[in-house]
Amino acid sequence: MSLSALLPILALLSSLLAAVVIFALPESSHRLRTLVNLLAALLKLGVVAVMTWGVFRGVDFSVSFTMLPGVSFMLRADALAMLFAGLSAVLWLFTTIYAVGYLEDSPNRSRFFGFFSLCVASTMGVALAGNLFTFFLFYEMLTLSTYPLVVHRGTDKSLQAGRNYIIYTLGGGVALLLGIAWLHGLAGDLPFQETGHFQGADPALHGQLTLIFVLLIAGLGVKAGLFPLHGWLPQAMVAPAPVSALLHAVAVVKAGAFGIVRVVYDIYGIDFAYALGLLEPLAWLAAFTIIYGSVRALWQTDLKRRLAFSTISQVSYIILGVTLFGPLGAVGGLVHLLHQGIMKITLFFCAGNYAETLGVHRVDELDGAGARMPATSVAFTLAALGMIGVPPLAGFVTKWALGAGALAAEMEWAILVLLVSSLLNAAYFLPIVYRLWFCPIAAPWPAERRWGRLETHAWLFWPPLVTTLMLVLVGLLAATFVSPLSWAQLIAVRMYLP
Amino acid sequence: MNGLPPVALIAASVLLPLLYPLLAARPGWRGALRAALPLLPLPALVLAMLSATPWTLELPWLMLGSTWMLDELRRSFLLLTALLWSTAGLYAVGYLGSEHLRRFCVFWGLTLAGNLGLVLAGDMVSFYTFFSVMTFAAYGLVVHDGSDRARFAGRVYLVMALLGEMALLAGFLLAAQAVDTLLLADLAAGIGASDDGHLITALLIAGFGVKAGLPLLHFWLPLAHPVAPTPASAVLSGAMIKAGLLGWLLALPIGEAGWGPWGQFLIVMGFVGSLGAALFGMLQRDPKTVLAWSSISQMGLIVVPVGAALAAPGHAPVLLPAIALFALHHGLAKGCLFLAVGLVLPASRILRVLLWLLVALPALSLLGLPFTSGALAKGVMKKALLATPDLPLAEHMPLLLQAATLATLVLVVRYGWMLWLKLEPGGAAACRWWGWILATLCSAVLFWWLPVVR
Amino acid sequence: MNQWLMAGLLFTPLAWAALSLLLDFRQGRWLSWLGMLIQALVSLGLWVAVASNGGFYYALAGWEAPLGIALRVDGLAVTFVLLTAAVATACGLHAGVYLDPSKSWQRYFWPLFWFLWAGLNGVWLGADLFNLYVSLELISLSAVGLVALGGEAAALRAALRYLFAVLLGSLVYLLGVALLYGQFGTLSLTGIAAVVGADEPAAAMALLLMLAGLALKTALFPLHGWLPPAHGVAKSPVSALLSGLVVKASFYIAARLWLELGDRLGSHTLAQGIGALGAGAVIWGSWLAFRQPHLKQVVAYSSVAQIGYLFLLFPLTFAVAEPVSRLAQQGITLQVVSHALAKSAMFLAAGNLILSVRSKRVDALGGVSHYLPFSLFSFGLAGVSLMSLPPTGGFAAKWLLLQASLASGQWWWVVVLLLGGVLAAAYVFRIYRATFLEDRASDDFYHPPRSLEAIPMLLALLALGLGLVAEPVLSVLALPFEVAAEVAADVAVQP
Repeated sequence: MSLSALLPILALLSSLLAAVVIFALPESSHRLRTLVNLLAALLKLGVVAVMTWGVFRGVDFSVSFTMLPGVSFMLRADALAMLFAGLSAVLWLFTTIYAVGYLEDSPNRSRFFGFFSLCVASTMGVALAGNLFTFFLFYEMLTLSTYPLVVHRGTDKSLQAGRNYIIYTLGGGVALLLGIAWLHGLAGDLPFQETGHFQGADPALHGQLTLIFVLLIAGLGVKAGLFPLHGWLPQAMVAPAPVSALLHAVAVVKAGAFGIVRVVYDIYGIDFAYALGLLEPLAWLAAFTIIYGSVRALWQTDLKRRLAFSTISQVSYIILGVTLFGPLGAVGGLVHLLHQGIMKITLFFCAGNYAETLGVHRVDELDGAGARMPATSVAFTLAALGMIGVPPLAGFVTKWALGAGALAAEMEWAILVLLVSSLLNAAYFLPIVYRLWFCPIAAPWPAERRWGRLETHAWLFWPPLVTTLMLVLVGLLAATFVSPLSWAQLIAVRMYLP
Repeated sequence: MNGLPPVALIAASVLLPLLYPLLAARPGWRGALRAALPLLPLPALVLAMLSATPWTLELPWLMLGSTWMLDELRRSFLLLTALLWSTAGLYAVGYLGSEHLRRFCVFWGLTLAGNLGLVLAGDMVSFYTFFSVMTFAAYGLVVHDGSDRARFAGRVYLVMALLGEMALLAGFLLAAQAVDTLLLADLAAGIGASDDGHLITALLIAGFGVKAGLPLLHFWLPLAHPVAPTPASAVLSGAMIKAGLLGWLLALPIGEAGWGPWGQFLIVMGFVGSLGAALFGMLQRDPKTVLAWSSISQMGLIVVPVGAALAAPGHAPVLLPAIALFALHHGLAKGCLFLAVGLVLPASRILRVLLWLLVALPALSLLGLPFTSGALAKGVMKKALLATPDLPLAEHMPLLLQAATLATLVLVVRYGWMLWLKLEPGGAAACRWWGWILATLCSAVLFWWLPVVR
Repeated sequence: MNQWLMAGLLFTPLAWAALSLLLDFRQGRWLSWLGMLIQALVSLGLWVAVASNGGFYYALAGWEAPLGIALRVDGLAVTFVLLTAAVATACGLHAGVYLDPSKSWQRYFWPLFWFLWAGLNGVWLGADLFNLYVSLELISLSAVGLVALGGEAAALRAALRYLFAVLLGSLVYLLGVALLYGQFGTLSLTGIAAVVGADEPAAAMALLLMLAGLALKTALFPLHGWLPPAHGVAKSPVSALLSGLVVKASFYIAARLWLELGDRLGSHTLAQGIGALGAGAVIWGSWLAFRQPHLKQVVAYSSVAQIGYLFLLFPLTFAVAEPVSRLAQQGITLQVVSHALAKSAMFLAAGNLILSVRSKRVDALGGVSHYLPFSLFSFGLAGVSLMSLPPTGGFAAKWLLLQASLASGQWWWVVVLLLGGVLAAAYVFRIYRATFLEDRASDDFYHPPRSLEAIPMLLALLALGLGLVAEPVLSVLALPFEVAAEVAADVAVQP
């Protein structure tokens, strides 16, 4: 087997095998498990880095075999795949480190890390899937492997959240399956390709294709938290912080958004989708979700719940970018896939740190936390400002690209949406930042713990700082060729100018 | 690249204050943190004094591709910013208590970095970035003392600043789409040619107007400037307020034909601000609040030539230096006046007289008394204005300028009176005295030696 | 070579059965483990032989049909033979550890087990209706016996009920066979298929009768009443055998009948009607599974639902284009195989869970997730296949059935297929949920031996992997069948 076929499999297997090994390890061998986790994460990072470099130089990594009559299992690394794979590989490493620290001394770690690795393997599969069928395969695997993580705590509330999560996502899966099967019946196996498959399709099929598009978007929209399919997301925040980070930043919502990107660009083809009139309703839906999520976030008193509604809003930026007909909008949407991940994971890491170190879960308990935990609070502040879109942080680059895309597509109203959303973001993030830095400590922390010299456990301390550095650098160095922005431009160029 | 100064110096001008907050990482470095306050703007000062303009520095890897530059217009703003921040920094060393010192210093450094950076910025994204950094970091200065009044002022400030930022972002986005480049230098021509030109102009006027205290966008200003710690008030009213002005000068389609109505609008708004602010300022009891209204009034006066430059494109080359000069004069003088509010009366009678004399110096300068910076600045500006042909309100211009001077007088008198009532005997740290004295010297003496004035 | 393999498949199980009758449970266990090894190897050997050379007819001891025992060895049959070997071996190994040797009646387990195996192989390979009947009876009776081994009063009651059901089913089936023999004078399925015409009410009646009898034996809704008590109350390895293999035998015969004769003797109404019953089974069975308080009842009702899918074969192959029909057949085959693997894995894992918490109730499972994660994981993986989520065999089956439904324009089965998956998720996740609850006061768990945990995991992994290798598995089904045409011609000339 050639190297080009081996690498995608290796990227997938690195975490899949880690999962198997972890499940097999006894509960008590913590060190070994941590070692396996970290080695797998580093290995995957290395493989993804090599593949990214290869894709940049134009190497084609792909492997496929026939799974069912007429259907093949296909892994393929194109530029878009590497965008998502890179995100999950990088953030997985930090989330793993964070999770090891977060779950220290808690029960069921074997189960947790096993499913954690499975979850990342599924995400990698979603990223590298070469056709719609393979995508669906990993998409559903992702649903299943995250369920045990959501209900990890085993409380009534988390089980309730898990139940809703499953109802929503499996329901979405049904719609997606129907759409994919139907599409397969019409057009056969559909590998992702840069200009889509339906350019110049028979006009008689347009009705069916529209219906299928709705089904696919409904199925993917559940995970992407598209209104009105977002109900599971705020509830799922009862999961432990690393899980929320994974759910919101790396895996689940991103898989949904990524799927929408794939369907619009690589299955239908942007020109055809535009010609069919599918983009504009989707753009409106995304715009509404952006505003809706932000408005709902305003009233949340639970920190993680507020972040969850913020996710609903922010992920729709990606979808909005996709629907802005033109390469600039695409760049905005795609780059936000990464930027939102980095920013949101930072926010969830910080929220987790407050909860673990101070026992603080609610926004109004955060008064004065900046003095007690300055590093974490700096990270939180920068990530929040990034979300608002303050330059030069990551969120600004997105906003600028999206705005430029909206203008290029002559959809000026989208700028208004962006601005209103920024204001709303400010309205729910800045009060938190204010409390962190400018309010005196009102009451003793609900449950304070201390770990030596650092403000919190070392494994919890560093990940948010590193991701904060990343969210500053991706904004500052946006014009360099290593930045997510450049990569998104590469994708857009390949997509629009094949 | 005619005489590009050392890149290290340019980098240090912005990076020194930007990275300075890292000193706050360790509680043990408080002393250094405090002592460094007046030193932060020094590289920028050197840059402004010594470098031969114009120069341009391309930084294609930074953000969306940055350009930093310095020309004569920017040089006067850079001088103002560096001088005022430096003296105010010295003042702050003697002014600040130990409470929340680290927090204050962090925000001070960031605000300063933003303020210096935006002057050097040659492209929209850099400008907007530094502008935002300044805006957000200044919030920390406004609410520093944590009182209810400060928090209220901070909230109003932040809401209005955010609205302004959004207007700017929209304006810049539209403009970037119209001109297909990020350079500020190409902006005027681009807006002039764009279909959305009027919308862009409106957005930019409003966006920068918040910062510059344009009437109806000024509400935050009399609230926020007085509640900040005195050195912060000085830089807010002296230097940061000018960022809005600089934004206008760089981004509006000045020098393009066909923007008469907007020029007319700005002239009217300028006079409204200049005169109206006096009415409100007259009623204030807190000398800092009086000064804040005075800033609105003075900014109104500066808006008039901006409007004139917009209305009379051919005359812009004459008007721009006048505006810059006036901004420099006002910034330095206003800074001194603010710093004076934080003083105490010395025990010795002679020293008291000296103090009042020194306080009066920048006040008189504002009024445009002969041999002050104000006389020069006002004279140049008036001459440029009156020489501009076909201005709207041209026939009333002398009268209105007289009225504006009267308004200034009213406010200065009110300020003096309130300060008289407020200052009490006591002791203050030496740095505070030195900061104030240096600021006054800059305004009254050094002003004449500055490169842009000579 | 093939002679030996065939003999090994059909007769050695009978020999093992006879031998083990003479031994007690422990001795029988050693004997059977040896037997299972041989049997599995023989099955594999036959599969390889067919995979390399294609299928063939085989007349036992040289007697040709219609008098002798004719065997039809094609790709489908050997696949099922291999499946039987896998599932039965797993259940046999599990039973050897799981069953309590101290109960004297357990020594009958091994003979019954071997009779069952022999019967199953007979069904897969049988080529004429009477032999199929005999094999089916062998299966039914040994299955009833196995249920009765549960030993409790409830087990005996369930066994008796089961017995009545299968006897009734057999009688109805036999009536149909007799009718056909009366009319055509042959029992060879191929022979009948070769001569039967389109408009023959008597033959249609016979087909209807046979299908009805087989439906009762397969526990098609609404004739499923006997299944949940029997499968629920039996010992776990027995339940696994029953749910995994036994019900498939009668379905297999029904499917063979339909595919050979249905195009002429069946009707649109009949096909749709059977499909509707299958749909009813999917929905009603799943709903009941969701409501059951006992773990094994959940699994048993899930069997009722999953069997429902199988009957979609009838509408999806009737009067449709050849490729569509092939899709449906492939889908149903995968469904049979994956359900056999997944359901037996599920029953075995459920048995482990029950052993561990010492209660059959679902709500007693709290906390078991971190005590017995391995068994729970097996249960979960099997559940994934039942929910027909990718990449399991269940998903591959559903995908093919979806394609067949869409391609044949019978979109209403799409609804059933998707709804069935959702309902399966509902009852499977109900179990997960119960195991994740952390409110259990006591920490009193029994840990079953490792081997008991490993077996369901292996089966579940097979069910999972089936989806990935569905294409090669299905390609065996399409192997050429060498003598079909000749034999058909042969039979046709006989009166």
